[in-house]
Amino acid sequence: MAASDLPHDTALEHLRIIRTLMERANIYRAVSATAALCGGVLGLGVAAWGLMMPPSPQMFLAAWIGVLCLSGLANLFLLMRESQDKGQPFITDGLRMALRAVVPPLLTGGVVGVCLIVFRQQMELASLIWILCYGLALQGTVSFAPRSIIHLARAFLIAGQILTVLWLWKGWPDMISPPVAVASLYMGGTFGLFHIVYGVAVFLSQPKELVTSHS
Amino acid sequence: MIDFSQLDRVIHEKSRLSIMTLLASRSPWSFQELKTELSMSDGNLITHLRTLTKEGYVRELKTTAGDSGRPMTQYEITGAGNSAFRAYVKVLEAIVQQSRPK
Repeated sequence: MAASDLPHDTALEHLRIIRTLMERANIYRAVSATAALCGGVLGLGVAAWGLMMPPSPQMFLAAWIGVLCLSGLANLFLLMRESQDKGQPFITDGLRMALRAVVPPLLTGGVVGVCLIVFRQQMELASLIWILCYGLALQGTVSFAPRSIIHLARAFLIAGQILTVLWLWKGWPDMISPPVAVASLYMGGTFGLFHIVYGVAVFLSQPKELVTSHS
Repeated sequence: MIDFSQLDRVIHEKSRLSIMTLLASRSPWSFQELKTELSMSDGNLITHLRTLTKEGYVRELKTTAGDSGRPMTQYEITGAGNSAFRAYVKVLEAIVQQSRPK
């Protein structure tokens, strides 16, 4: 096609391609879908155990630290394997940006939550703070994250806020006791269920083909 | 008035435009990474990369993968490529602006 015949629609279409590809080039998925699924299933299992056989605060803490470590290691391993498959280095600008965004809220939530359980036996409040800080950590990555992570961040933040209001206002769910069972319900409903939904949604969504190649 | 002759015919082809866009967003990209992102065949991608390299818009880098030490080919945009890409986008924007109803 001669340049002088370039219609308005073609120019618009080319600009759209440029914009979409530029956005995709800078996208970084900090949470692997497979790791999220495994972590979600593990989280649901631990939450069910906490609901049916309420453990001591120390056991509750140890169990959830175990879930965090196993899911974190699985996530790290899967992100490394993905980089290898793509032939790109593991330490990229995307990973650095993601770490800068998620480490401060995760560290804050971790320290405050552990202190609440160890020194005050406040499992419900600790779990609510973990939910909110995890949501904030994910929210910090939205400028370069895929849409699914943005939805996950919103789900954690909205659920964390609603549960905090309900717990402080009505002591919800008041039919469940002891506090460790309530905390297990909060953790299972968010860290367990939300991660499973996220993992399944990512697997079900097919990447849209943008370019039809022709030489 | 837009000078349409400024529109770069090398970049204007859709596949090459996609390659140039990715390389202008961040560099370098490995061959495998470009292939995955653009869903292009090996032959197709290499043909377009050769055209862009010949034009001086793209540079080939031979490196080794960090862990395995296997040879890897990466591509990055050159200064000339960056200027040509920016000029191409400007012309596209001018076309859209000019034909926008007032």
